[in-house]
Amino acid sequence: MLRFDAARRMSIICRAVAFVCGVAFAASAVFAQSSGDPRRGAAKAVACGSCHGSPERPPLAGMPSLAGQQEQFLVLQIFLLREGLREVPQMAGMFNGLSDPDLTDMAAHLASQAPPSGNAGRDPKLHTRGAGLSKAMGCGSCHLNDYRGQKQVPRIANQREDYLAATMKAYRDNQRTGADTSMTAVLYKVTDSEIEALAHYLAHQ
Amino acid sequence: MKSILQSCLRSTPLKALASCALGLAGAYALAQQLVGPQTNPPSAKEVEQRKSKGGYSPERMKNPNLSGHAGRMTVTPPSDIPVDKIKVPNGFKVELWAHGMPGVRMMARGSKGTIWAGTRIIGRVYEIKDKGGVREHRILAQKLTQPNGVAFQGGNLYVMAINRVFRYDGIEDNPGVKPVELTAQFKLPPDVHHNWKFIAFGPDSRLYVQVGSPCNICEPSPEHGQIRRYIADGSGMEVVARGVRNSVGFDFHPQTGELWFTDNGRDWQAENGPQDELNRVSKFGQFFGFPYCHAQGIPDMDFKKKDPCKGVTLPVALMGPHAAALGMRFYSGSMFPKEYANSIFVARHGSWNRSSLFGFDVANVRANADGKNAKVTPFMTGFMDPKENKFWGRPADVLLMPDGALLVSDDQNGAIYRVSYKK
Repeated sequence: MLRFDAARRMSIICRAVAFVCGVAFAASAVFAQSSGDPRRGAAKAVACGSCHGSPERPPLAGMPSLAGQQEQFLVLQIFLLREGLREVPQMAGMFNGLSDPDLTDMAAHLASQAPPSGNAGRDPKLHTRGAGLSKAMGCGSCHLNDYRGQKQVPRIANQREDYLAATMKAYRDNQRTGADTSMTAVLYKVTDSEIEALAHYLAHQ
Repeated sequence: MKSILQSCLRSTPLKALASCALGLAGAYALAQQLVGPQTNPPSAKEVEQRKSKGGYSPERMKNPNLSGHAGRMTVTPPSDIPVDKIKVPNGFKVELWAHGMPGVRMMARGSKGTIWAGTRIIGRVYEIKDKGGVREHRILAQKLTQPNGVAFQGGNLYVMAINRVFRYDGIEDNPGVKPVELTAQFKLPPDVHHNWKFIAFGPDSRLYVQVGSPCNICEPSPEHGQIRRYIADGSGMEVVARGVRNSVGFDFHPQTGELWFTDNGRDWQAENGPQDELNRVSKFGQFFGFPYCHAQGIPDMDFKKKDPCKGVTLPVALMGPHAAALGMRFYSGSMFPKEYANSIFVARHGSWNRSSLFGFDVANVRANADGKNAKVTPFMTGFMDPKENKFWGRPADVLLMPDGALLVSDDQNGAIYRVSYKK
């Protein structure tokens, strides 16, 4: 009940912010397979930056940076959140009424932004351990060697360390939805300490 | 955590945003301090142990083109589905039978002609009715965790998601029926990977259920890597086949009643294999080799043991490297030419862990009832262009209709095709 109230509250806030920013809430079943329009998306995605940061400002604690994220990944995740297939209490209701073109425009805009450049506080030992684990586990195979991601595979380079760790744990513990379940397979039986080393390494690229 | 959320609720919207975020971050930072990271680099032994847990680092992982394909969650209009590109043997015809159902996969048919289809990530179960030449569909269930499994028996529809089981009693007479939840009775493991279900009723009226291995390669726990059967109410569980990696399709031989199933081969070992399998269960509880022995007797590169293929039932047929052989049905209809009698149609979803695409078709397998002399022939092709190394469609399941036509689902386009034959 508490979660629901919080979610509803957040949703009201979002609607207010979105209204001010002139987001058009129009239901539409038509999906353009081509990518969205970043210019239109810029106006629709103004609210995102208040938590997710911008090229100039890092995201809030525990939040992913969306700047420079892979477009296909963003489209999929916004879709999953809109449909309630992926439940994040802070995001509940934020995409109510958002059409498929709105969604692709937002994704195109966010994808066109400059990605995060790095985080402070690098620990050389932990970094080395994470690098070794990433090599052993083949993270770069899908996320590519500089971890910028590709298609539905997200950019993980220089994301916040807390976000990366929490996300990997959620995948491992069957609590997170992705394009498929490959992350759950890759993280099968990976320990918290291994995940924390990976998160530290990936956050400091 | 509760108090943080409560304080969020009491404050103004903007303050709420800030205090929520800071509070959650603080709680997380505290949790991190309590766990405390380990700072040594992993030793060679640790890397080896990591592999044995299902992580692995073969040379092939250096190839960035071997990651999975993204499914499409949004509606594909019929004008964007190039049915004319699909090729079938002479005399056969393909038509777009139903569309507009993103992610449509495994199919079951009711005794009064309703078709139900499960999905994976999009979490829906579709119900399709043939209204005199036009198909109409509705979303029967949604927001489930990969409700891939559908089966029908005695007027009731069974839907199996990864973690939940439902029965819709008499649904064809009572479309609004509330489902009975059978989750507690079936006691399925919670793991998501390779645990989207394929389910079907056998000639023994038992419900057969796959419980895959929750990894690419690992020693599965005793409750994984198998095909089980249950009494329809979820009681009387028995393990029918063991050493299974991930089966997403099975059927029962029209003459012998034996269970035959497809099994997906492991990834990352090699470009050309180990190939997917078509297996036949000739003895209850047979062992099919995972994780030690693959395909026609290929030892695993990570999980090694002496005589890895000893006691392993080898496949009837190899279905191709990384082909993703999924839904399969024996052909017991009367419409197709007689050489197709008791042959098997297998939907090959298509490879991702291979630099040259393979599969993306429906194959036909002819074999003796004892599994001998199997021959695999591509039957319905054209979803993939080998020259361009690109695909536009992915067959996921096949279903035999009472008139002898074959339905083929394509989850990439949210479509179902009908394959028919006329002399």
